Amino acid sequence: MKRKLMAIIALIAVGTLLFASAPQEASTGEGPVELKFWSLFTGGDGAFFDAMIEEFNASQDEIHMTNDMVKFDDYYTKLTTALAAGNAPDVIVLHQARLINYVPSGVLLPLDEYVSDEMLSDFQTAPLEACRMDGKLYAIPFDVHPIVMYTNTSLLEEAGIDKIPETAEEFTAAAKAVKEATGQWGSLIDNTTGTYKAYTLTRLFVSLVNQQGGSMLTEDMSAAAFNNEYGYNALVWLQSLVNEEAVNPNELDYDAAMNMFKLGEGAFYFNGVWATGTLEQTEGLEFAASPLPAFMGESAAWTDSHTFAIPVQKNQDPAKVEAAIKFIDWMTGNAHLWAKAGNIPTRNSVLEGEEFNALPYRADYAAAVSSVVANPPTAAWGEIYETLSDLLEAAVTKNLDPQTSLDGMEATVNEIISRY
Amino acid sequence: MIPGNRDTRDGILFSLPFMIVFALFMVYPLVFGFYISFFKWNILGTPSFLGIQNYVDIMHDEKFWSSLWHTVQFVLMTTPVLIVMGFLMALLATSHSPLKGVMETVFFIPYILSMTVAATLWAWIMQKDFGIINQVIRLMGGEGVSWLTSEKNAMWSISIATYWWTAGFNMVLYTAGIKQISKEVFESATVDGANALQRIIHITIPLVKPTTILCLILQVIASFNVFGQVYVMTGGGPAGSTRVLIQYIYETGFSYFRMGYSAAMSYILFVIIMAISVIQYITLGRRDS
Repeated sequence: MKRKLMAIIALIAVGTLLFASAPQEASTGEGPVELKFWSLFTGGDGAFFDAMIEEFNASQDEIHMTNDMVKFDDYYTKLTTALAAGNAPDVIVLHQARLINYVPSGVLLPLDEYVSDEMLSDFQTAPLEACRMDGKLYAIPFDVHPIVMYTNTSLLEEAGIDKIPETAEEFTAAAKAVKEATGQWGSLIDNTTGTYKAYTLTRLFVSLVNQQGGSMLTEDMSAAAFNNEYGYNALVWLQSLVNEEAVNPNELDYDAAMNMFKLGEGAFYFNGVWATGTLEQTEGLEFAASPLPAFMGESAAWTDSHTFAIPVQKNQDPAKVEAAIKFIDWMTGNAHLWAKAGNIPTRNSVLEGEEFNALPYRADYAAAVSSVVANPPTAAWGEIYETLSDLLEAAVTKNLDPQTSLDGMEATVNEIISRY
Repeated sequence: MIPGNRDTRDGILFSLPFMIVFALFMVYPLVFGFYISFFKWNILGTPSFLGIQNYVDIMHDEKFWSSLWHTVQFVLMTTPVLIVMGFLMALLATSHSPLKGVMETVFFIPYILSMTVAATLWAWIMQKDFGIINQVIRLMGGEGVSWLTSEKNAMWSISIATYWWTAGFNMVLYTAGIKQISKEVFESATVDGANALQRIIHITIPLVKPTTILCLILQVIASFNVFGQVYVMTGGGPAGSTRVLIQYIYETGFSYFRMGYSAAMSYILFVIIMAISVIQYITLGRRDS
């Protein structure tokens, strides 16, 4: 009896093992290669991205790409667990700033031997080099998306302003003029956690510190480097817009800021270039997009970049890798379609192409890409970025003493760095 | 005993499917979580041993203490109200009112909704600019309230949504408790001239005490584990003022991938909840036995 019991237990144990390791789908010689892709584009850019996938599938019959959209908040959680379990999709999208969290663990396939030099030579140097680590290429940049300034041109006209502000003082003055002349808000910088944290504050803070020649972290990324006059100037200005000058609403969250700008309730609005497409679709809104002004000296703007990468699989199928590269080639080579959403393409052939240059604003702010601020390549940056958003939110919405806030931010950032 | 029937063997066989799932998805993660809390691990790489360093760091982590405090605030804001609400609802549902059936259903329906649905619903209702509450306030000439975007109100707003969503569960427990009280007790009290309020205070409340203890323990545990409502309604904001401990555990684990640290915090929360439940059980249950 005992032996029988053991046999049954053993059988069940084997059974569960079978379930755990379902055989991997192998691509056959017939029919198109089936590829799976996970994307995180759920905002205004999602529709443009889906349209591109459809067009890619229609453009050829060798490869069929299926796109699963994952909610942005959950994307990296889902992706990381899938990578750990070795069942990630065939192609993934990653923010350039996140590469550092994945490359050292060896979960991304080095692409050098799969990509032709001819294809690579078409890419802009800076975004491509940002995907290289220890001399190996781990991702291909799809776009660059810096923070830019959107202006409601009808409100500016009503207030009699004929020139886009170029310095912090000019900006404050223009925002005040708009508020006095039109009764609408001068600026719409979101400063409160809603669906998202107050990322715009962090993005502007990073930009402003860099515009003065500073940087967020020390060169060896071992400590915070913003607790000085650069950080002070940046924070005081962001606080003054909400408090002393009262030209920016308090307790404004990301979605509300976007909606208010769409409704014409504010003159200046800051967001990544990805908002351009959505704003263009808004009826009755007359606006312009321009590179982030050099408010505090030099031009510099926070940016990130969407990149394509290929996860390492347990049984890597060369046919799928080849198909994935073809897909990436097509997507980056047709990125004028992606530029409709507002994003800036990374390939020279697209940037010089007719389709891209026929789109409004993009060419202007694409030129400013030379002055973008790269994210510090440290695994701690994700947590630093999120935490600073909370701390800046408190400093701006509660008008806390700027020096005390900066001291607190510095201490917190140093503590975070020490834990990685 | 039926011939050929062996209780031990059959017992093991029948419970085996459950035991395997239980061991695989409860016991193993529990043990593994404790083990990994002594390591630094980002899921993808190899864990490196830290000893009790994670626990030491937590003691100095301001964000841990503030998150724990927000959790305690939530427990204090919700537990008493939910117990009283559940009890009052149960009184109505067991009353002689012709509407008692309708009331019982109405009170319980919100609890059927998933957390995400209930929280999203309230997040929209309480939205500052377009939410229905503020629209009504503005129609009546008032000024909109920042339900979710001001530090003063945010935790209360989450609590209100939680009252609406979960009070029905306590009502079910209390309804069962009240129905167990034998009718004669009430009848003799009525004959002796006790009015409805006196009957509730002197008969119902003392006799449902075991239910109250059960509700209290379950409620404190549930409230300590709050996460979903907060995550959906405020994202822990404004400025992290509603970030609760589970959310911090989730963020460190699944946004920043510091699994060891996250696991260590989970174990601290586990010990806290366990200690509170034991204390409650001993102090509240003692007089009964």
